[in-house]
Amino acid sequence: MNGLKRVVITGCGIYSALGATPGELFDSIAAGKSAIVRGNEEDEFLPTAPAPRAPERFRALPRTLRRAMAPSACFTAMAGLAALQDSGFTQDDLQTLEAGCAVGSTMGSVSALRDGYSLVISGQSDRLSPMHFFKSASHTTAFNLARTLGLTGAIYSPCSACASGLQSLGLGAALIAAGQTTVMFCGGADETGSEVSGSFALMYAHAPVEDDPARSSRPFSADRKGLVCGEGAAVFCLEEYDHALRRGAKIYGEIVGYASNSGGNGLSQSDAPAIARCMAETCASAGISPSDIDYVSAHATSTLQGDAAEAAAIREVFGPNVPVSSLKGHLGHTLGASGPLEMAVVFEMARHGILLPTRNLDAIDPDCAGIDHVTAPREKRIRTFFKNSFAFGGINASLICRINA
Amino acid sequence: MNLTRDEIIEAVNGALINEMELDPADLAPEKTFFDDLGLDSLDMVDLMIGLQRKFGVSLRDNEEIKKVRTLGDVYDFFEKNQAMLTAQAEAAKKSAGQAAGK
Repeated sequence: MNGLKRVVITGCGIYSALGATPGELFDSIAAGKSAIVRGNEEDEFLPTAPAPRAPERFRALPRTLRRAMAPSACFTAMAGLAALQDSGFTQDDLQTLEAGCAVGSTMGSVSALRDGYSLVISGQSDRLSPMHFFKSASHTTAFNLARTLGLTGAIYSPCSACASGLQSLGLGAALIAAGQTTVMFCGGADETGSEVSGSFALMYAHAPVEDDPARSSRPFSADRKGLVCGEGAAVFCLEEYDHALRRGAKIYGEIVGYASNSGGNGLSQSDAPAIARCMAETCASAGISPSDIDYVSAHATSTLQGDAAEAAAIREVFGPNVPVSSLKGHLGHTLGASGPLEMAVVFEMARHGILLPTRNLDAIDPDCAGIDHVTAPREKRIRTFFKNSFAFGGINASLICRINA
Repeated sequence: MNLTRDEIIEAVNGALINEMELDPADLAPEKTFFDDLGLDSLDMVDLMIGLQRKFGVSLRDNEEIKKVRTLGDVYDFFEKNQAMLTAQAEAAKKSAGQAAGK
């Protein structure tokens, strides 16, 4: 991003199955916990990784805000409030700055869509609440975050399935780098639902439930059988570097590189050459060599083809010596939330000087070999890390963050 | 729908307490929905949809319900119009049944 303004992260908030703060989430993962459980009656043949949804969890949100929110937007709003508090900004500050947001999800809210269509299909459309649109719209996470924080700048909602969160960070960073705005709250969110997990299952991309559900997601493992859908949200406060310096903000790190591309004809299949090209372009955008990367937080969802393609691309770009792990064995695949949510854990890894391993990686698949898999907690100073997110439709996105700008 | 005024008040207030999370102590008949109770037009639509379901009537095309300003107006509306609303609902049900039988 040479010649452009520098962009740093000055706030972080999450909503997750394994902790209410990045520190709690790190502790859970470091302790080897898994969010993955047997599905409910509707989806009992599939494992799932739910985040807390009890209504009392969201009482911090006034009813006038909450009435327009399905779970995905509630997760986002809770994460956004935490990010605001962490950033040290007040809502008045944000209005003065005309701060904006970019938050994406796979499809708005699958639960709200289902509730609405159930009424329409059964001939009861007169019972639809006027809130149905606001709960289920594809940009529900973004505008509900803006309302919660009182943001008066631009609202964007990249809707690119599992790359939504990372693309939102890339978009926010680009807008700040270009001088169009000073502060953006960016992230991703998603909720589980049989419309999504069932679709993966039909494509043989979803794991069946194991006797021990916590073993269902096994990224890079020789006996992996597919992904497990999870849910949650993460929101970062992105800020122009000089502005952050002037106000003495805590700086998590600087977004120094970002790229997104596609293979040109992708539907569900991963495309290793396109992924490698995306990662190389990300390094080029940062003006750094792949050897400068201390850790790769992989997308690796535990699908047969996707993990092998990502491993091949990492092997090509980074070679065998850059540590790599995936957090999908702990959290499941939190879809649009996964990029930012896993990044929040990486910042904690950096703070502790410990790389957390891929869960359930007992036997590395030969197709995923040739890279430095982290299979046990490892002491390591992280100065610069790399994050991947990929999505159906052939979408690839990668981001590089330098710690403590 | 064949309710006493107390039953109507209980149903309406129940919706406001459960759906709109209002404090029961605030639910006096003279309170206005917008200024006193802090609701807005979208809340009013939601409230009416809930009451339609609860009372088994249709309010969608009713012009009188659109004129309510206070909680007491809503109690009065249902108390005064319940016979008419019930007749409308039964006629609509009968008409739908005949259409389905054709």
